[in-house]
Amino acid sequence: MAKLKRPQKDIPKIAKNLCDGMLRDLESAKRPTLEAIKCSLDNAIYDPKVGYLTPGKKKVTTELNVSSVQKLARTVFMLDMMLNNVEMGSVNSTREFYYMTKGLVKSDPHLKPIDFDDQVESDAIIYYICDLLEVYREELNCFATDRGGQTYSQNLVVTESLPDGKKAVIDLSQMGTTPFQPKNQPQVFNLKPKKGKIDFCLVIESVSTANTFVHNGFTKRNNCILLGAQGVPSNGVRGWCKTIQDQLDCPIYFYGDLDAYTLQNIYRTLKAGSAASLIRNSDFSAPDVKFLGVLPEDIDKYDLHCYDVKERDAVEARSLKKARDVLSNDPFFKDKKNKNVADILRWLIKHKKRCEQQSIFSVNPKDPTMPERIILDKIKNKSYV
Amino acid sequence: MGKIKASSTAEYFAKNLQQVGFSSPIKAVLTTLKEAVDNSLDACEDAGIPPEIKVSIKKIGTGSTKSTDLIDIVIEDNGPGLEMDDLPKVFGEYLASSKFGKGQCSRGQQGIGISAATTWAQLTNAKGVKVLSKTKKMRKALSAQVDVDIKANKGKLKNKESVDWEKDHGLKVEFKIDGRVQLNGDGGLLTYLEGTALVNPHLTLEYELLDNSKVRVERVSEEVPKVPPPTLPHPHTMKLGEFITHAHLYNTVTLDVFLRKGFSRVTDNSIKDFIKTGMPKAFLTKRVQSIPDGDFKKIFQALQETELTNPSTRSVLIVGEEGLARSIQRLGDVDFFSVVTRRPTICDFKPVVVEVAIARFKDRSSNAEDEPVQLLRFANRVPLQFDKGGCAITRAVESVNWRSYGLNQPRRSLPLGPYIFAISVTSPFIKFKNASKETIDASDELVEELRLALMRAGQKLSRHIRRENKAADLERKIQHIEKFGPILVEGLAKISNASDSRKKKAEEGLEKLLGRDTKSALNDLVSAEEKLAVLKAKQRVKLGDMAQDEPEDSPEEDIIATTKKKVEAIINVKSSKKTVSKKTVASKDTTKKVVDKKTTKKASRKK
Repeated sequence: MAKLKRPQKDIPKIAKNLCDGMLRDLESAKRPTLEAIKCSLDNAIYDPKVGYLTPGKKKVTTELNVSSVQKLARTVFMLDMMLNNVEMGSVNSTREFYYMTKGLVKSDPHLKPIDFDDQVESDAIIYYICDLLEVYREELNCFATDRGGQTYSQNLVVTESLPDGKKAVIDLSQMGTTPFQPKNQPQVFNLKPKKGKIDFCLVIESVSTANTFVHNGFTKRNNCILLGAQGVPSNGVRGWCKTIQDQLDCPIYFYGDLDAYTLQNIYRTLKAGSAASLIRNSDFSAPDVKFLGVLPEDIDKYDLHCYDVKERDAVEARSLKKARDVLSNDPFFKDKKNKNVADILRWLIKHKKRCEQQSIFSVNPKDPTMPERIILDKIKNKSYV
Repeated sequence: MGKIKASSTAEYFAKNLQQVGFSSPIKAVLTTLKEAVDNSLDACEDAGIPPEIKVSIKKIGTGSTKSTDLIDIVIEDNGPGLEMDDLPKVFGEYLASSKFGKGQCSRGQQGIGISAATTWAQLTNAKGVKVLSKTKKMRKALSAQVDVDIKANKGKLKNKESVDWEKDHGLKVEFKIDGRVQLNGDGGLLTYLEGTALVNPHLTLEYELLDNSKVRVERVSEEVPKVPPPTLPHPHTMKLGEFITHAHLYNTVTLDVFLRKGFSRVTDNSIKDFIKTGMPKAFLTKRVQSIPDGDFKKIFQALQETELTNPSTRSVLIVGEEGLARSIQRLGDVDFFSVVTRRPTICDFKPVVVEVAIARFKDRSSNAEDEPVQLLRFANRVPLQFDKGGCAITRAVESVNWRSYGLNQPRRSLPLGPYIFAISVTSPFIKFKNASKETIDASDELVEELRLALMRAGQKLSRHIRRENKAADLERKIQHIEKFGPILVEGLAKISNASDSRKKKAEEGLEKLLGRDTKSALNDLVSAEEKLAVLKAKQRVKLGDMAQDEPEDSPEEDIIATTKKKVEAIINVKSSKKTVSKKTVASKDTTKKVVDKKTTKKASRKK
């Protein structure tokens, strides 16, 4: 199996020690207590020098009692199954793990009580095990569907280490209209420009807009990487951006909607990671990403069409509330280094407006290259935060 | 332009019977029954007779109109009976009533309902109502048919004859109408009859519906409620026209006297205040008849501008918590219930009393967990069965957060579960939304008053639910130990390659640990049980002799005894076993003491 970039932990040994300790406690009729990192915003620390959200000191403690015995029995059962995968080197998706538990329960009736009603329950146990062992889900050979990450470039060559130890070399300029869609770990990527240096990488929130840019010749005319993120970035997209940042030394710009959701859930996650994945943000965030737009000043400058946020509408009112909450609770937005991004949120709250990324297509509908020119103009004039 | 001619009231209603509850064949049967039963109850209460009403509804053929049956509806009471002269007025004349505008909490108010039922019978079956009446003075009963003379709005007696009737006094009416019978559901006959029995503890009701066997619901109170006399009107409840009409009843006295004698809550000081707010002082000494109509507006406006004490609440009638508690037991095998009677209060300048009874029935529990509760609405002790959505009562129930009392509730909806929510509003001036009196208008003040009553009932209910939850929690915990303990230990032993002896020792350790948790859950249950026992003791005091019929070992106690045994089996350690037994015995004693103490306290207060 291909090696992970991050020094791999001896998961079977950690798991064995954990279970041995629990068993010892039980032998002496003592309650075993398990501690996992608390993965939530109130335990997230943002240090601008580090660049991404890291876990604080808070732990979630689970003590064995009648209420938690079900959860712990399920945890140990699932852990055993995952350890088996790690030893055999086979991988499975979270959905497959759910069905594997079903199969085991079916074959052994005394396991019936721990049967999962749906995948949400088994996923929660998988994530609990990750937090408990402080490992990535992928290190337990468990993968989820990777959305997004459709990458286009005429000047990028990717060398991928495959699970069997062989290497695959992919020249993105030779892929025609097919995008390169990187998978998440354990593959290791080595990126190199075909010639010279890549000027910039543009991450676009909407995959369809990214495809439009490619179709209209953006990647042919520019020495760049173009990436469609498809909403909230998956681990695959996040890890891929981090790899681009670390290996290519080119500026990365994110272009998406002007609203609180995009700023917190998409841009912040791409740049500094998320609160739910505090233990893995170091490998799944690209702190150098800049927010290219849509910026509030773009609305006037390019006369962009925008919407009023109606406070009577429950969904839209929630987006305003979210912006307020983010400013007071999210350490990323509270840090003075990100004041410019926080100012955009304040602008959203004050003006109660939102503007979508596709609005640049309204500037000159007869000229298909106009959106490209706006993007390039913004990069050239450093119109980003 | 055609010739303008006046129509009689009967003509109007004959053409608009849908406005008074005859809008469909199903509603026609229910409304006929309702009007007759309401009249019987009012008559019995007026005469101070504990009512005994017999109802029979049979399908006797096919109706003359499409898709209807010919329904025979017979209602017999033991009331004072009606004299011959009164029969045509009561059954055949619209707006002939002894209660119209009196401001009393009687069921009937306008004298429309029963005449409308006669009209419906006449229109659909060409015959009015057949009446058998006997007063105390009569030796023989009078049998007759009453028809409505629609052109003249008068009742007509037909086929008069004297017949023998074993009763000393009473009234029996028989309608043969086109209709359809619906027994259950919001608009069902059974729902109506059960509702009527609930809010009339003094009623003995016997009914035979279609081919079902006869049901007899005995009264649980011998006390016939005395409808309080009406109070004088309050100036703030009137409109200008009403004020002028009312004034002309006092034509010969001076305005000063009229204001003091003709209204409630008008004192000498109030009259001084009227002058301050613009009423010319000179008017006070003038006779009412000499005041021009134009000046009445000035007087009326001054009255409206002046702050007056709220009207008296003495005119409202209360069923009472005791009556409701006893009555609700008649509807079926009650699992638990809570009743609340609020003090009479003023809403929108009208005296109002709100009463709530919430009950769960053992025989209605199946498949009802996800169904909305059955909501029974009452206005002046009459069930309201249609247009639930727009009613003040429904609005109030939906606005309460029932989740905090342990019930499931979708957002802004009725709570879910096998419960009956019976809510009664009694007032001499209930504001209905329509003439058929099916929906109470939802003013903010009334909704708030209803909410307060509902929340109090919810608090009482939550004690039962909490005890059940604790029992379920304990049961769940016991199950958890049995189910998950072995799997956990097995998994741990497998991953850590532990020996069988280690595994066995760990299993014993786990049982000890979880046994301790179960003990604490048992203590929680006992504590919840104690609180519930206090509530039940209060109910027993209210129910008096009915409580004695309850079996000594209630199912709840059985559950506790069983779970205690299970806990003891799980702990399975001699020393712990002793502790548990002692504790549970002690807690049982405490429960008994609390109950005894409360019962004695109540009893001595009663003395």
